[in-house]
Amino acid sequence: MTSFLINAFKRLHLSIVPNRIISSGYATAVTTSADAISVTQKEWKFPPVYTKPREVWIESLATVEEIKLGLFELHPLVYAAVPRIDIIHRNVVWQKKYRWVSWAQTKTRAEVRGGGRKPWPQKGLGRARHGSIRSPLWRGGGIAHGPRSGKTHFFMLPFHLRIHGLTSTLSAKLAQDDLHIVKDLEIPSDEPEYLIDLIENRNWGPSVLIVDDTDIAPRNITVATETLPHVNIMPVYGLNVYSMLKHDTLLLTLSAAEKIEERILHHLHSITNEQQAEFKLNQI
Amino acid sequence: MATVWRSQCAFTRFFIGKIAQIPNNSSDLGTKLSLGPLSVPWVSRNYSNYAHSPFVSKVKEQYEFDVVKNPPEWAYVERLLPFDTIPAVSPKEKYPSGWIPPREEARNLPFFVSRTKNHELPIYLNVTFRGMRKITQIRKIDGDIWLLNDEIKAYLKEAAKRYVETRVHELGKFIEVKGDYVNVLRDWAYIKGF
Repeated sequence: MTSFLINAFKRLHLSIVPNRIISSGYATAVTTSADAISVTQKEWKFPPVYTKPREVWIESLATVEEIKLGLFELHPLVYAAVPRIDIIHRNVVWQKKYRWVSWAQTKTRAEVRGGGRKPWPQKGLGRARHGSIRSPLWRGGGIAHGPRSGKTHFFMLPFHLRIHGLTSTLSAKLAQDDLHIVKDLEIPSDEPEYLIDLIENRNWGPSVLIVDDTDIAPRNITVATETLPHVNIMPVYGLNVYSMLKHDTLLLTLSAAEKIEERILHHLHSITNEQQAEFKLNQI
Repeated sequence: MATVWRSQCAFTRFFIGKIAQIPNNSSDLGTKLSLGPLSVPWVSRNYSNYAHSPFVSKVKEQYEFDVVKNPPEWAYVERLLPFDTIPAVSPKEKYPSGWIPPREEARNLPFFVSRTKNHELPIYLNVTFRGMRKITQIRKIDGDIWLLNDEIKAYLKEAAKRYVETRVHELGKFIEVKGDYVNVLRDWAYIKGF
């Protein structure tokens, strides 16, 4: 019965699909009417087989108001994966744990001061037998099996879970309209108010994570974001699940989006025995 | 003692790089050694970088060589290098291994089972409880997974002549079939063109 209902629903959903195509056709009509907008058809090394590529607008930071410079295609394996929240959660837990060193510390019976002498003779007093006043049974005694400091919680998440954490989070961000592509990071002024206005105007939420292909961002944007703790710039190799979730909006430059896509597609289509091997501290 | 000296000599000779000047078994080798980290070569040292270690820098002094970019012989080296990624399948008339390529028309179906990165069908048998439970798993399903589930059930009922239980995991994009139906499902996938 339930499967029948679900199938009925699926059939309804399928009948909606042509509408979506019409709407996308409308979008292309708009682009052709405006000459300035460029539509990019991409050539991938691993072209998408069944799922259609995701189309995104290329935006610009040059004005406070949103200007659409063109359309851009994103690979569905990277940007349209199923957002597995369990995998995302495991990534977040991993990122919290691998850098966590617990400094909690308690004293054992050997470390508490005193307690070397037998408090009373073993026999003849009618009292319980005790050998030290710092035994864990005593008030003020040592702690048995307490936390010892310098405990690391380091572990490595399996390689493909890390990869799928990235694809899941990127896909979730794109599906929720929280992923935006910009042509470059050039802004006209170096005042933080400009960025605040821009983020307010485009409804990007207070916090924005900007990801660029290079390590060196243009001067204006670095100066503008310096006093804004909730707008951060990151190179592509620093992209991670935790930061993406922490910021409301993920802002990728065109080259960064392509680079992320290329790296993840490479790992999804290559032999990864080396990466999947057990983590060793001394890897050289 | 002599053997110890000899082995040390052999080691230092490599560092100094001037083999001709040093006669074998010369006992005054220690005085000829340059100062610095090489003066005690038998003590192991960690260099931060192999390229800047004396293993390489001394070799550079010792031999005359030119650095050539992209010589014609490089093509033969590239042939020996491992593949960067798993290559695409080159289309052939027939494949002697029995591998069957996916067909184009399968992409027009409302559901799709994509191949793995090694171009194999993602249909597996999971054996648990010491062989007492066998579950066939079809992974990497795109599109309408529930419709695919119905088709599989109908096909298996026909093929196995009995009702076959399945379980759909929509988010994980896989279907589990109770029982060992790997070959039957593979045949079905080949018929569909996956």
